Amino acid sequence: MTIEIVLMWVALTCYVVASALFVFGVTFVREGMVRAAMFATAIGLVPQLVSLGTRWARVGHGPYIGYYEVANGLALFVVALFLVAAWRNQRLRAAGIAIMPVAVLLLGGAMLTPTSDLPLTPNLASYWLFIHVVFANLAFASFVASFGLAVAYMLRERSRSGKWAKRLEKLPAQDVVSELMTRFVLAGFLFWGIMIVSGAIWANQAWGRYWAWDPIETWSLIVWIVYAVYLHVRFTLGWGGQRLAWFAIVAMPVSLFALLGTPIVFNSVHGGYIGGVDG
Amino acid sequence: MIETVRRVVRWFESPRLATWLLVFVGAWSVVATAVPQGDTVAAWASVHPFIEAVVRMLDLHHAFSAPLFRVVVFMLAVSTALCASKRTKVAFHRARALRGAQDQDRDSLISAHNLEIVCAVGRGSTEAVAEADAALRRLGIKTKRRGDVLSAVSPWWTVWGSPVFHWGLVALIAVVLMGSLQRSEGMMGVPVGQSVPDQPGSYGVLHTGPLHSWSRVHHNIRVDDLVTDFRTGKIDRGPTPIVSVLDADGRVVKKQPIYPNNPLQAGSLTIHPAAFGFAVNVSLLSGDGAVYNRTTKLVDISEVAPEGTAPLGALTVSDREGQPAERVVVTVPLRQEGGNLVVPQERQAHLVVTTVDGKPVADRVLNTGESIALPSGGMFRIDSIGYYARLTVVHDWSIPLLYAAMAVAMAGLTLTVVVRQQAVLVTVAEGPDGSLRLYASLRFWRNVPTNRAEIETELTRVLGAGQKEDDS
Repeated sequence: MTIEIVLMWVALTCYVVASALFVFGVTFVREGMVRAAMFATAIGLVPQLVSLGTRWARVGHGPYIGYYEVANGLALFVVALFLVAAWRNQRLRAAGIAIMPVAVLLLGGAMLTPTSDLPLTPNLASYWLFIHVVFANLAFASFVASFGLAVAYMLRERSRSGKWAKRLEKLPAQDVVSELMTRFVLAGFLFWGIMIVSGAIWANQAWGRYWAWDPIETWSLIVWIVYAVYLHVRFTLGWGGQRLAWFAIVAMPVSLFALLGTPIVFNSVHGGYIGGVDG
Repeated sequence: MIETVRRVVRWFESPRLATWLLVFVGAWSVVATAVPQGDTVAAWASVHPFIEAVVRMLDLHHAFSAPLFRVVVFMLAVSTALCASKRTKVAFHRARALRGAQDQDRDSLISAHNLEIVCAVGRGSTEAVAEADAALRRLGIKTKRRGDVLSAVSPWWTVWGSPVFHWGLVALIAVVLMGSLQRSEGMMGVPVGQSVPDQPGSYGVLHTGPLHSWSRVHHNIRVDDLVTDFRTGKIDRGPTPIVSVLDADGRVVKKQPIYPNNPLQAGSLTIHPAAFGFAVNVSLLSGDGAVYNRTTKLVDISEVAPEGTAPLGALTVSDREGQPAERVVVTVPLRQEGGNLVVPQERQAHLVVTTVDGKPVADRVLNTGESIALPSGGMFRIDSIGYYARLTVVHDWSIPLLYAAMAVAMAGLTLTVVVRQQAVLVTVAEGPDGSLRLYASLRFWRNVPTNRAEIETELTRVLGAGQKEDDS
């Protein structure tokens, strides 16, 4: 087992511990545990960054190719965005109860897949790859943040004066949580849009067509449409409250499927980013 | 009539319709990825006979060119355009409101406020303004002092994000539509050292939009060389043709190696590499040894062919009377090496000659310079065996405009997501009863870290003896 993999197991352990501390800390209203969970999250990010950085230097490309690298990159952005959001607004820390398990599932899934090095194929060797992947990761991290806030919103909403209302009382007011949820969706919508645009420009450079309704392209559009519908119902039809929170909860797995599921389910010219070969 | 048009416009403007159209496009796309696309769907259809009937009715095997899908996308485009127009009007109003707020002085604020708080006794106006300032900052609103007025007013341009985004989408749809009407996209095989005119006859596969015109295309495409292991830096780019575009007078307009992510672009023309294969140059000789025809046969590399290559069509040879006599199929056998097929250093041509009705005549492997006698008289000679490049050639003037529309849409969306739209004005003055009062005008549209209720609560907490709200 290489040092890279050992470091990644350390990161995963930290995230598992953080998730458990979030669950216990929030459930039993122990602020100390929530603080410890934040600490474990931040500590876990260090070995993950070092491991990915080492791998980047060794194989000559960032975490873009193969399930191990792609899921790893997504988990990294989810954790990093959560840390930044919770650092800027400490009242959001309790949302880690829903966000960190997503990071654990992603990184855990990555650790169960082959970790072998995959070279850049001629089609993937472009600076557009970096832009495309970074914005995909940023978008997904934003969607997970909105998902976490939506879960917290629903937990509290379902027990307005009950146990969960007390457990999550440190979170901002419900309307502020709902507003933040939408702001993360807006940010994710923007990042996902840039991801699609950069992908279209790149496809034109690599293959001579900017859009071909390939299954992965189509699913990326589906995700954008799903969140466009979210924003429409929020801003023009006045949706809010539980309906909107449910929407954010259901939409996030669609984006996860588009990123990690579609190359497995569909035969696509884009499959190279998971399989390491051009379609 | 006008009333009917108005009704239609109102219907298209409806946010509910826009939402349902988006839902339809999303759901249709999901179904389209679950149903095989194109014409080769017989196997799937035989396994799903019942679903196939519905799929055929809706033309879901060509989901993204199906009439129903096109109609919905057209409706979505109209809806987006009307929505953009509506948002433009809103943005004008908001921009005017922001300009007005920037010019608003203390007296006009006092007469046109929407929040009033009676300050607790014993506090001076300077102190009250400072406390209000601190309270707003705690809630994330940084104010500037303009005399006795605290002001946090966004610039006028901040409200233009949403209309710009929607107009960008409208432009994108329009450019895609117009571009697809005039776009041509096809593949052509060009032997190394040869040039071909960029005209329909040079293409093996060609799709052209209904408004594409070839009369304005006058250039030729030449493949100067094909480098089988082209490298840039540490990256192996694979077999890479060096391609030139020549104008009508034969002058080189542009020349470069083309590989994935490095196409040749000249005006609306873009050339990408698609594949490569062999180009076998052959001569047909009469019985007295004179060459009466020279031609090039293209041979593709094929993983499924036993020799590793497959011919791109056969050559028909005519007899002295000009009647078709023989068909000649040429391949270039590859060599087995460690379980892989590799190109041998000394390439040979494998000729299979049959009569036009398919009876075998000859089956020979020839070296360059060797020939074979044909039953109809005359000879068939292999002159050379080189490479050819298969190129994807696209004519599409809309690409730069498409990128511009995308950039505009993303810039608008960025503005919508990132920039605050707010007009906050606060001042403190003596009220009609002599008490010190805080007068505020609060208007929030987007990306504000707080809300009106929070501000009221906080200002009342730090200043208030009581609150009198006036939404005038």
